[in-house]
Amino acid sequence: MKWYIVRRVAWAGVATLVILTVTFVLMYLTPDTRLLELQFEAAQAGQDPEQVAQAAAEARGLDDPFLVQYADFMRNMLTLNWGWSTTRSQPVMDALTDAIPYSMMYGVPAVVLSTVAGLAIGLYSAVNQYTKTDYVATFFAFFGISIPNFWFAIILLVIFGAWLGWVDILFDPTLAKVDGEFTLGAILSWPNIKQLILPIFVLTTTSVASMMRYARAEALEYVEAEFVKTAKAKGVDERTIVLKHIFRPAAVPLATILVGDLLGIIFVGSYLIEVVFGIPGLGLLSFNAITNQDTALVFGTVFVPTFIAIIGNLAQDIAYVILDPRIDYGDR
Amino acid sequence: MSGPADDDGPDGGHTSSPDAGRSGETGGRVSDGTRHSTDGGRHSTDGGGRATFEDVDWDDIEATSGSRSPRQIAWLAIIGVYSVGLALDLYARYATAVYTRVVGFLSGADRTAVETPAWVPEPGPAEFAVVGTVDGVDWLWSLTLLVGVFYVAVPLYENPRMTRYYWREFKKNKAAVIALCYLAVIFLIGLVVPRVVSPPAVEPLLQYQPPVWGAVPDTVPIQCVGPVSDGLCHGTWAHPFGTTHQGKDILVSVIYGMEISMQVGLIGMFLQLLIASAVGLSAAYFGGYVDEVLMRYVDIQITFPTFFLYLLVVYLFGGSLFLMIIVFGILGWGGIARIVRSEALQRREEAYVMAAESAGASSRWTIRRHLLPNVSNSVITAATLVIPGLILAEAALAFLGLGDPTIPSWGDIIAAGRSDLDRAWWISTLPGVFLFLTILAFNFLGDALRDALDPRQEAGNNE
Repeated sequence: MKWYIVRRVAWAGVATLVILTVTFVLMYLTPDTRLLELQFEAAQAGQDPEQVAQAAAEARGLDDPFLVQYADFMRNMLTLNWGWSTTRSQPVMDALTDAIPYSMMYGVPAVVLSTVAGLAIGLYSAVNQYTKTDYVATFFAFFGISIPNFWFAIILLVIFGAWLGWVDILFDPTLAKVDGEFTLGAILSWPNIKQLILPIFVLTTTSVASMMRYARAEALEYVEAEFVKTAKAKGVDERTIVLKHIFRPAAVPLATILVGDLLGIIFVGSYLIEVVFGIPGLGLLSFNAITNQDTALVFGTVFVPTFIAIIGNLAQDIAYVILDPRIDYGDR
Repeated sequence: MSGPADDDGPDGGHTSSPDAGRSGETGGRVSDGTRHSTDGGRHSTDGGGRATFEDVDWDDIEATSGSRSPRQIAWLAIIGVYSVGLALDLYARYATAVYTRVVGFLSGADRTAVETPAWVPEPGPAEFAVVGTVDGVDWLWSLTLLVGVFYVAVPLYENPRMTRYYWREFKKNKAAVIALCYLAVIFLIGLVVPRVVSPPAVEPLLQYQPPVWGAVPDTVPIQCVGPVSDGLCHGTWAHPFGTTHQGKDILVSVIYGMEISMQVGLIGMFLQLLIASAVGLSAAYFGGYVDEVLMRYVDIQITFPTFFLYLLVVYLFGGSLFLMIIVFGILGWGGIARIVRSEALQRREEAYVMAAESAGASSRWTIRRHLLPNVSNSVITAATLVIPGLILAEAALAFLGLGDPTIPSWGDIIAAGRSDLDRAWWISTLPGVFLFLTILAFNFLGDALRDALDPRQEAGNNE
């Protein structure tokens, strides 16, 4: 098992390098819009555009050979020196550390809620298959995975924000801070929580639905298993059967889905939710960087979810072999 | 399992195989050995004076199996025409660029200074009779539709017994039948109407017309097309779903959006299906290093969220529907490939594969005739469930303004109406309803297909 874990960690490292390399090649091959802009400005000001462009390229090391640029890029990436955000006039790292807490404020509760509720409802549905409750739960699951969350968010904002006036339409980032610093007290204060309820609800609706479907499908595999029948025949009470005999074996495959699928849903979902609600988290930061052509920030904000996904997948695979003794990790 | 499924045994999916027609022709004498080894026993009893496995001249079979059914000839002819058209279009678009680069490289001159001779056309899309110019999405879309007709519709028509069986199984799920009807309507309207009706035009004077059943204060639109009473502007049949702040007709935009959503969903699914089957089957069949390399690549690809990769691509190259379909089609197949591989690994151990191999079948033959048809059920199910994700992703990106700015996608209209929600609620909500229903319908359909086609689910259904 140790050998497998070592190889798996090494493989995550390889994946990181591959992704960084692909990104670098993409960057290298595309014309630099900023350079073109500079040239244009220079021509307007009556300077020689070629000369200006060359000076700018030299200053930024763009005229170095491919391999030198590549080595520079990799070194900067791995030492977390992710460049300078031109639109925000601060290092990309600072912009990220300022944005990520906002994403976590609604992302973490949404993950916890959807995991707990998804598992509970899914298990209940599986044990009571083809009852009314199961149909209601299934219907809700279909609703949850089918509703476009950005559209859902708009509708909720109109209903609860514009018509009923229960929540503010504009997100106030200062509510989570005291004197410009995040504090736990401010984050947990009622005005801040109130403006987070809708984002949490929207994100949870989507993720709880897919969690529920998986939990139900996995649990169904064991509902009719021999050992469950035996337990029933011996008079074990319902609760123990569900928790010990159905949930425990089903938990292993579910753990992998939790990371792989949920992570994807949360990241894509949060991107849209932040744009709709105006939450200055990672998604909105990235969106603004794209519309404002802030290259370093675009790459920084895209790398964060990618690296979290790599680490998540790594953790999931390792958890899998530790949790499930039946897995043959020898030949992978 | 119910009756009809028993007749076909584990080869139930075989009828949807592209080679079903051919095996009926050339396989008359001998096919039972290779085709259905699992029910070979039953067939051999009624064989009487038939040739046994050892007597068959397999080289002869190999030679005659080249003969093709009329359907295949038609398919080859259509693909031939398609390829010629595509080649002409590519030539018209890129001949100049390629020519100047090659000549420039050979003569050492700057490529912008190279003169193009008369036989190299001006760069631009080729003009075809009847259809005019064809762009990248149209090429993919027509190929997807052709494949759909020849590999789904025609085999279903040619095998009425299996079609009836699938339909009986499918019919049990009422929600899925409704979903299928809804999708068929959306698909047909989206396919036909944009060919006849011109795209929604900007007419500022006609802005904010309410839908036909609705009414707004007559101060909202600049001029009300419908009847005005009690200070309320009522909708008209001229604009059944109302208009946007630019005066674009929402019904027309929604219909144009139907085709875009279908294109994204179906082309993306087709590309994913193609690559996933090729990779998954090769990995399972060849095993060893092939398996290792392909599947480790899939590991990396699955890790990288496609959505974020597309963001990078938009940032670097600008958004377009073609790029979106290509990115999602070429990078989203990892999950299906894993399913194909695990399914094919089981099939690979079956006796009929061993029989085919001992009879000297090539790997291509074994994969196409024995593995592919038998994994197709789970593949089709997985692929159907990919479509809603693709449609949702396209709408989300269009909503963010990172999609194709030239086409009226549902996400675009929703985004356009966002700031007008308090006075013109219909702009964002109506396209959103269509988006939601379409995704819901595909999810229902995928679920029903899994119940009808996927043998692994069979046990659960009998409960």
